[in-house]
Amino acid sequence: MSKAILDVKDLKKHYSRSRGLVSALRGRDVVIPAIDGISFYIRENETMGLVGESGCGKTTVGRSIMGLTPITSGQVLFDGEDLSVLPPSRFLPYRRQMQMIFQDLDAALNPKMRVRSILREAVTVFDRPGNEGVDRRIRELLDQVNLKESKLTSFPHELSGGEKRRVGIARALAVGARFLVADEPTSALDVSIQAQIVNLLVDLQRDLGLSYLFISHDLRIVELISHKVAVMYLGKIVEMGLAGSIANRPLHPYTRMLWSSMVDGRSLEGSPSPGGRGTWGSLDFERPQAGCRFASRCPVYRDRGRPAVCTDPSTEPELLDVGRARKVACHFPLQ
Amino acid sequence: MAVEPVLTIEDLRTYFYSRSKRAFIRSVDGVGLQVRRGETLGIVGESGSGKSVTALSVIGLIDAEPGVITGRVGFRVNGTEWSLLPSIGDHVSLAEEDGRIVEVVKDNRGWRRKVDRLMHGVRGREISMIFQNPRVSLNPFVTIGSQVAESVLLNTGIRNRREAAEKARYWLEQVRMDSPGLRFAQYPGDLSGGMCQRAMIAMALSSEPSLLIADEPTTGLDSTIQSKIVELLDDLKKAVGVTTVLISHDINVVARLSDSVAVMYGGTVLEYGPADRVLSPDFLPKHPYVEALLESIPSERHIKDGLLPRAIEGEVLDTVNAPRGCRFFDRCHRITNGIEEKCRDLEPDLAEISAGHQMRCWLHIG
Repeated sequence: MSKAILDVKDLKKHYSRSRGLVSALRGRDVVIPAIDGISFYIRENETMGLVGESGCGKTTVGRSIMGLTPITSGQVLFDGEDLSVLPPSRFLPYRRQMQMIFQDLDAALNPKMRVRSILREAVTVFDRPGNEGVDRRIRELLDQVNLKESKLTSFPHELSGGEKRRVGIARALAVGARFLVADEPTSALDVSIQAQIVNLLVDLQRDLGLSYLFISHDLRIVELISHKVAVMYLGKIVEMGLAGSIANRPLHPYTRMLWSSMVDGRSLEGSPSPGGRGTWGSLDFERPQAGCRFASRCPVYRDRGRPAVCTDPSTEPELLDVGRARKVACHFPLQ
Repeated sequence: MAVEPVLTIEDLRTYFYSRSKRAFIRSVDGVGLQVRRGETLGIVGESGSGKSVTALSVIGLIDAEPGVITGRVGFRVNGTEWSLLPSIGDHVSLAEEDGRIVEVVKDNRGWRRKVDRLMHGVRGREISMIFQNPRVSLNPFVTIGSQVAESVLLNTGIRNRREAAEKARYWLEQVRMDSPGLRFAQYPGDLSGGMCQRAMIAMALSSEPSLLIADEPTTGLDSTIQSKIVELLDDLKKAVGVTTVLISHDINVVARLSDSVAVMYGGTVLEYGPADRVLSPDFLPKHPYVEALLESIPSERHIKDGLLPRAIEGEVLDTVNAPRGCRFFDRCHRITNGIEEKCRDLEPDLAEISAGHQMRCWLHIG
């Protein structure tokens, strides 16, 4: 079994929303726990899918791992080294091994730089390979992401969505990354282009031995390319396991709700009416539920006659191992 | 079928003139569609395929004034017939030089006035529209209830404010807004995206239109909310029976809600027919583009076989330099030696291959 490339332990990221000076002094600022203690690991050459509704904290997880946003507490171990306590000078060697593919195609590329300059900058940021070496490396990258050499003189706005995405991937590979955080890499793309990018990511993983944290709300793509999947709800992982078993035999009611909410939803075993009607509140960090966060939307909670254990603040369900590489945080997991 | 068509679009062409490119962008290039009473027509296509511009042309809401807009849009309700498409010819003069168009001069205000006169009494009242981004489409400074009530006052016979408010509440209930009484007095900013979309749908339905145009009604919403909106539209279709044009890039949404489907690519319709035929991977024959498109979406089948979706290579067509022949020529995987020349040089017509099923491909119309 290959070793873990990334190990996240009890990661927390709290944002505080200021209500003004007086509240701050009285300690009454609103704290929004965007990530509220999550742990997982990713092995080499493995893809972990991270799914959940918008606002559940998926992107914040990616950014925290990358060190793009300071974390509140917890550990992010890359190759066994805790990145969150490293001084900047010792962080750099790790930074080149982990890169991010950003969700927003247009914001990620400098509009005033041509593709060649964008890639040149990435190639030369850690190494000084000389002009010839740079050109060779750029050609190699273009080849890897399947981009025409004629595009090197284009500005980002002259590229199509798929091409911009390819440039973003090439830039991440330029520094020699082994681990990529792919934040919704297909969501901004046309349907026929999405498959191109998914296939490219899978090919790169096979050829270069990359590991991915694949953040997406497209459950089908996640199910197809991930080895394991974590489902997030309001800043916590509620279920985690192998991709196929999560999709086909969800244990957490929220997981089942997500998968059966696909428009062409399959009929999962024992879920006649997925979710039921009127159970859709929105995500709300500011008025957190006591006990289980999902209780207000949970069909199981409702069907069981609102058991007190679900809303008791002292018994918030923990992510427990239920065997077969499966973890679930629920008092009444589905069978 | 004996049911009369509510909307008939014939050979619609909407071109925009691009100054920097000195050429026409042929966003919609000869589209013909029909929507019958009670039917839902789905228009699927990738971005730039012209699906939204088709809808906006019908309802006279094109923002950047087109250089050319021709064709015929007939709209028929209870025996009254409107011809909705104004001719822009009187308001545009083309400056030519050696047979090349070098400048397009448009009388935008005159054209706008003409469109607005033509649309008076139709837009909003007979034809309603739901837009993609509900938050942007609602006025942030007016409560949800007032916005729906305003639509009732403007577009129905009701003139009394209290009655209008009551009607507005009725429609908010119809779209299954949770606690409609509370939402009535709230502002769009207080509502989630899904709730805003429900409010938009309530507004669109409140005038009891003869035709509803829904442009990407589920795009940008969470997948859990999406499925709820689709469920709502499905139920409303059964309960209210409103004739609908549904525009979406999401094939699953269109397949679920539509009776007939038009697949657009590069400004033209490539395949047009009953939804269960066009969007079912098992029904043959298929247009190569539709076949590839269905194959490129991860589905149950891929997951079962552990296969990755097959990508359509190449890029979406740019409608400035549309090719002479078939628009899908560059990306087509089904071209055989026998027809290659024809595919490259000659654009096939949208021809009937079986009753009510049309296709634009040399493979099938030979």
